Amino acid sequence: MNRSVLNLVWVALMAATLLTWGVGKTIAMNATFVMGVLVLAGLKGWLIIEEFMALRRVRWFWRGLLLGWLMLTLFVIFFAYGLSLR
Amino acid sequence: MSLIRSTFTLLPSRRIRPLQHNPPGDLAIWVFILAELVTFFALFSAYAFARLSHRELFAEMQKTLDAEAGMINTLLLITGSWCVAQAVAAIERHRNRQSGHWLLAAIVAGAAFLVVKYVEYAAKFAQGIDLSTNLFYAFYFSLTAFHAMHVLLGMAILCFVWRKAMQGGYSAADHRGMETAASYWHMVDLVWIVLFPLVYLMR
Repeated sequence: MNRSVLNLVWVALMAATLLTWGVGKTIAMNATFVMGVLVLAGLKGWLIIEEFMALRRVRWFWRGLLLGWLMLTLFVIFFAYGLSLR
Repeated sequence: MSLIRSTFTLLPSRRIRPLQHNPPGDLAIWVFILAELVTFFALFSAYAFARLSHRELFAEMQKTLDAEAGMINTLLLITGSWCVAQAVAAIERHRNRQSGHWLLAAIVAGAAFLVVKYVEYAAKFAQGIDLSTNLFYAFYFSLTAFHAMHVLLGMAILCFVWRKAMQGGYSAADHRGMETAASYWHMVDLVWIVLFPLVYLMR
């Protein structure tokens, strides 16, 4: 594991969390907000899977399972919220 | 010129580094992680679809949550995950004691998470809010308490690994046990990354 990469990922995750929280406090709920929050959650999850879990250098089966879980979970949430915003 | 040459000499070796067949740690923990992820997927889906028929209730109740506490807990779990990743990186560089210190920092981050969660729960109970208050709070307490139990289990595993690391039980060549614990801890972090915006922010 590369320590510099880990430090960068940590800073990015902390910044994304503060951004999500700050936006959530100030912006009213709408489709763009939901999409933005879920995209940020997706990016954070992707960084955790790839760098912290160190699956970047693992064959696609395991990597795909975890990234697939993340995408499917966020898609289902977006779908349910999309229905409620119609 | 020599810099360009050395760069081109380095690049191919990085590219052709073979991919590992299996993820870090014991394969059994990955089967367990997948089972946990499937469970959380079902819980998140149930929450999102239950909200469809109780939109006003969920939106009102979410306003009563302590979003700052949720945000602080997210920062704590991310920091804990970073510490565990650093612990693995340290053991790979033969820094055994340093690895132990990183693990201890992760345990402290986990403990701080549970303290914040306790304060959050205590405030709710003081207001007379509990699992039976309404559907939103049934989901809130079930999801967050179930996740907190995973944090507790992850801390117990990290304590065991920390003790072994401080006794010199891991080396750069053999630290599979530490990787196994790390993978579990990162899963706990990954789940919270979805749980936090879903329960605290998305109204």
